[in-house]
Amino acid sequence: MTELLTTLHRIRHANAWIFGTMLVSSVLSLIASFVLSVDAVKLAADPTAELSCNINQVISCGTVAAAWQSQLLGFPNAFLGLIAEPVVITIAAACLGGVRFPRWFMFAAQVVYAIGFGFAYWLFYQSMFHIGALCPWCLLVTISTTLVFATLTHVNIRDNNLFLPARLQTALASGLRANLDLVIVVIWLLIVVLAVVVKYGDLLFG
Amino acid sequence: MGKQQRATSRKAQAAIVAQRGRQINWVLTVGGLIIVGLVAAIGIVAFNATNNDEPTAGSGKLVTPANLTSTGAIPVGKPAAPVTVEIVLDYMCPACGKFEQANGGELDRLIQAGTTKVELRPISFLDRTSQGTRYSTRAANAMATVADRAPDKVWAFNNALYDSQPQEGTRGLSNQQIADLAIQAGVGQAVVDAFDERIFEPWVANVTEAAFASGVQGTPTVKINGTVFEGDVYRPGPLTQAIEAAAKSGT
Repeated sequence: MTELLTTLHRIRHANAWIFGTMLVSSVLSLIASFVLSVDAVKLAADPTAELSCNINQVISCGTVAAAWQSQLLGFPNAFLGLIAEPVVITIAAACLGGVRFPRWFMFAAQVVYAIGFGFAYWLFYQSMFHIGALCPWCLLVTISTTLVFATLTHVNIRDNNLFLPARLQTALASGLRANLDLVIVVIWLLIVVLAVVVKYGDLLFG
Repeated sequence: MGKQQRATSRKAQAAIVAQRGRQINWVLTVGGLIIVGLVAAIGIVAFNATNNDEPTAGSGKLVTPANLTSTGAIPVGKPAAPVTVEIVLDYMCPACGKFEQANGGELDRLIQAGTTKVELRPISFLDRTSQGTRYSTRAANAMATVADRAPDKVWAFNNALYDSQPQEGTRGLSNQQIADLAIQAGVGQAVVDAFDERIFEPWVANVTEAAFASGVQGTPTVKINGTVFEGDVYRPGPLTQAIEAAAKSGT
């Protein structure tokens, strides 16, 4: 039992697992961004186009895509995913292959991805409470962005890439060894699910 | 390194490993409890939602309004009138507003005169243009409620909705504003109170689907005695002439 836990522990902190998760998540994000971009183009050509994911009044890409929040910068947000996710895929694949990027590079990746992470949750919040509809592809982006952010943070704390004060770095590193990050990510995702179910359960399961 | 020193360092290492183990246990215990709690909460909420069998609040249960025509439209006017004008409309659609402005008065007159009756099919395909408030569905549900419980006020309420038609792309009228319009159109308070129960939303969704399945391309779609009217519906005149012609020819 203890041995099994130790093995799991070792796997979880190994490059293969961390960057593997990052790679899978970023590929999922890229696929979702691609679908959302195609939908956005379709809707721009024909505002009444029926999208495959207009399932009911809550699950509706069309409703979400038509909201101003979905073109915050004047073009569909999904285009940002098309730009950013291939970079993440490249980083993950390179690291899987044994490349070690300089500290400043990983730090910069962390900062940029933190912005993307914040944006993803701002959109999730807007979609939940202001637009009043959810789109499955957007939710996939929310979840996979969370996983990429979590794995990137994991590796950057493990490798001391974040230029943190020594004491904070030590504390965070021991938190990692205690699997605190895993627990936080699971709780975080469950809270997201709970929020969706509390707000829209009646319409999703009714 | 002496024997004793080596023993001490081994002991220290064991202590560190033990401490780490305790830390992991602590995190996993507390974290595990929170996770179990969250999973249970999700399960309970989902379970309650599944068992929420009220026929209201958009539960998906189809309730058809009373007083519909045999083809499932909302009738206005005398059933014996020789001409039937069927209108597929969306209360958010600007073109429907223009149609109403151009022809509302004439239709009013022709209904009064017993020349024509009108059949309304309110649909909700423009829901996505009200920033998530689903104005089309809310307005159509209110109309269906009036048809069900205050059928003689349908036409007045229809006209009131158009007189205050919101711009496409806005949040539309609030539920309160829709209720106020109905009150002004003479609908009773008890009927208006039922708007919020969203009883006929599934019916509206059905009408929308059926309309597009039957070949409707957009709104307004106007049919005279079952034939799509291809003339200009955005200025007064052509529709009136077509209706009067149909009344005379008796088709």
